[in-house]
Amino acid sequence: MTISWNSFKIAYRQGTFVPIFASLIAGGAIITPIIIVLLRSVTTGKLGVAMGFSAENYLRVFADREIWSLLNNSLLYAAGSAALGTGVGAMLAWIVARTNTPGKALVELMPLYPILMPPIMKNIAWILLLAPKSGILNNMIEQITGTNPLFFNAFSMAGMIWTFGLACVPLGYLFLLPVFLSFDPSLEESAYIAGSKPVHTMLHITFPLAIPAFLSAFVLNFLRALRSFETPVLQGTPGGINVFVARVYDSMALEFNTGLATSYSMVLVVLSVITLMFYVRATRFSERYATITGKGYRVKVIDIGPWKYVTFLAVFLYFLVGIAIPFIVLIVVSMIPYFDYETFMQFPSNAALTNYYTVMKHPSFVNGLYNSLTLSITIALVTVLSGIIMAFTIYRTRAYGTKIFEFIGTLPLAFPPLVLSVGLVIIFLGTPLYNSLWALGLGLFVAYFPYAFRNASGSIVNIHKELDEAAWVHGARWRHVFFKITLPILKPSVGGALFYIFIEAIRNVDVAILLASPGKEYGPVTLFEYFRVGQWAEAAAGGVIYLIILIIAVSIAKFAFNLKFSL
Amino acid sequence: MVKNTTLTAAIVFLASVCTAQSGWAAEKAADKPAQKPVQKAQPSGNATMAAAKAFEKVSKELYPKAKKEGALIIYSVWDIEHIRAISDAFSKRYPGIKTSYWQGRNPEIVTRVLTEFQGGQPSVDTILSDNAPSVLRAAGAMASYETVQKDVLVLHDPTLPTVSLQVQALTYNTKKLKPADLPKSWEDVANPKYKGLVALDDPMRAGPLSSMLAGLWTQWNDQTRFNKFIKGLKALNVPVHKSTSAMFRLVVAGEYEICMPALLHDVIHDKEKGTPIDYVKSVPPIVFPRQAGIYAKAPHPSAAKLFAEWLISEEGQKTIDGIGRESSRNDFKSKTSIEMAFPKGTKAIPVTDKLYLEDPKKWLDRNVKPIWEG
Repeated sequence: MTISWNSFKIAYRQGTFVPIFASLIAGGAIITPIIIVLLRSVTTGKLGVAMGFSAENYLRVFADREIWSLLNNSLLYAAGSAALGTGVGAMLAWIVARTNTPGKALVELMPLYPILMPPIMKNIAWILLLAPKSGILNNMIEQITGTNPLFFNAFSMAGMIWTFGLACVPLGYLFLLPVFLSFDPSLEESAYIAGSKPVHTMLHITFPLAIPAFLSAFVLNFLRALRSFETPVLQGTPGGINVFVARVYDSMALEFNTGLATSYSMVLVVLSVITLMFYVRATRFSERYATITGKGYRVKVIDIGPWKYVTFLAVFLYFLVGIAIPFIVLIVVSMIPYFDYETFMQFPSNAALTNYYTVMKHPSFVNGLYNSLTLSITIALVTVLSGIIMAFTIYRTRAYGTKIFEFIGTLPLAFPPLVLSVGLVIIFLGTPLYNSLWALGLGLFVAYFPYAFRNASGSIVNIHKELDEAAWVHGARWRHVFFKITLPILKPSVGGALFYIFIEAIRNVDVAILLASPGKEYGPVTLFEYFRVGQWAEAAAGGVIYLIILIIAVSIAKFAFNLKFSL
Repeated sequence: MVKNTTLTAAIVFLASVCTAQSGWAAEKAADKPAQKPVQKAQPSGNATMAAAKAFEKVSKELYPKAKKEGALIIYSVWDIEHIRAISDAFSKRYPGIKTSYWQGRNPEIVTRVLTEFQGGQPSVDTILSDNAPSVLRAAGAMASYETVQKDVLVLHDPTLPTVSLQVQALTYNTKKLKPADLPKSWEDVANPKYKGLVALDDPMRAGPLSSMLAGLWTQWNDQTRFNKFIKGLKALNVPVHKSTSAMFRLVVAGEYEICMPALLHDVIHDKEKGTPIDYVKSVPPIVFPRQAGIYAKAPHPSAAKLFAEWLISEEGQKTIDGIGRESSRNDFKSKTSIEMAFPKGTKAIPVTDKLYLEDPKKWLDRNVKPIWEG
């Protein structure tokens, strides 16, 4: 009792009720749609039919004989993709932040561009490249060797992990880069003085210090892969590989039963909780990993000698497979009459701009693009700020029970977006907000909050508590600590998170589909409709236009305004 | 204490949301008798004239009311450019009715409309789709409306106006398969010689292949033949696809030789672009109704009725044909009409099974799952 009262007095004196209250609002906004869909899971019957409370949906889930094989595939696919994406992302971040790799400006930008390409466009491009019989690479091998060994197969577990793993790299890169840039160099210097070689130091000092941020990115990528739908449907199903999330979508698509879909989603929630518990346990002694202390820090660039050309090649190789090759494939596909290997190889003699003309005439292109631009910028700002405040509440206010936000802040990741959107639709029904851009904005906030939150928490545990403890001791209130200490130190990761959420939001389809409304078009929803109806050439043209706009915007921001996305 | 108060407030808030939920749940679905589409015979010239007159009359009755309502909201599975072309033509024909639309896939349309229906939201007037209206009707979310032009329709449903048809054709890649090697019928696709060549839609999802199975089930009325066909498809040992459009693209690309099945308007559209794709004309097409259903709580019901009637009228059918989609009328000839696209005398196989139309999952569990997974 005394302890509680003391905590209360300290919280009052330091003004930490403000971030706690702000976190409660954000947490409430996140948890309400989730609770609504959870309630759906314990109701009988389908939408439109009178409902009563029952465990029928859960009994069906537990009686599903295929559940284990589906989960097995899901876990393999998610772990593989997350390991590939986060591993490559971490390696790129280390190269960019800590090595003397030549062509600094280019090297900084190359890992960023692939994020601009929506995952589904990568799926299409890699299917066209890696399909066993019709794929460009296998046909090229056949042309050269005279036989088609079916070396590449887009419709395999390896093909799925390759495509989605590549889509996971930017997140790993953006999470790890600020950490590598804000290291306390004394540990590495000690290693060098003790005679350690750069690679040895990297493996035994540098990377272990980046564990919290690495795990944050890994957990996020793992959960993204676990609930991702396009890659399993476009590449897994044709190869006979079915994943768990397909059951969730089948419940919606075949039975129109959100209750059953939510019950299946609960398995994902349990997996997410286990993953999260593992993460919390792994990082519970977060001070161990603190790389920014009160002793001051500066970034030390390591001279890796001739290896710098190898690292440049590694970055360039990622740039090639991450965006350049798929982008070139899409450009060609957008200009040829149709795709098959023969027609593809006739390019540019058969090139035409008809598909670009069609896309530019699209009724909702301009309006949708405007809405998605304004909303994405707003959502990125609001989400990132809220994420930092919540992470600050958990790790810095020392208030009892705030660890619950760790769970709430990550929970949306466990729900397939379509299921989550149903909860949001129910919240807004009958209110003036229904069918407005506000509803869509809240949907995007809920969907992307975990990214902002995990990014902020991964970075905050890297800041030693002694910095704000010094401020608290001197009587600072929370706003001084937050705005004058935490936020300025987090600046690198704030830039990265803003950039990432902006890009994710501006190309979102899953959340926006139920929340976009007549007269309130959302760019990606209308544009990527081409993919759904099988007009891949038009989709490729639309995607190319979209990508060019984003690449120009990023390049201008980088070179003209010297904006550093995560630096 | 503070925490407890906050927690209590949160629980009260959530409880109020739940109460509202059960309130919606308690709302009883309207008891509309489900109807199954009826395939109509070829109409006479008189039927065409009678339909034109009936349309003129109903149009005169409905237009003033629709104009007073002033708007029409459409939810559709069709491509946005198609919806836009149709709604623009409608607005031009009937000035004073402002149209707006939202586009989504069938599961999204059904989920959204049913959620809105439970919440009492007068959000939409017309559901323009193939699968969604009948599923929504079964849940009581559709108002019953019988078109006055029923005598000229290929498939007529007394409660949902059929404005177009989904026509499935047996499609193949012309570069990969010689005419002599083509399947002679839908059943022939299950021939072991096509092992590894067929792109097969997932028969356990509410997609084109399951519609086809429902059509053949009714047409054959022969359990043994039906079982043999499904077992034959299974024995092909080919992976199934959950995206028809992606599957079609892979056939065009040459990954597979045969598309089981493809939609006629896609095939004709691609043929015109010079794609190496064609369909077996001697195999009768499967036809499935595309309807313009009227929402039970439509805020602009007269505009919705007028829209449905106009879509079925000659003028509306020309607009539908203009976007490459199939006509629902027996007397309308176009490149995608069965009469023009298939040899004379071809009898299309309609999907009329009531259970399949209203609850595809139940139908599949009953008739396909035991054989497919057995």
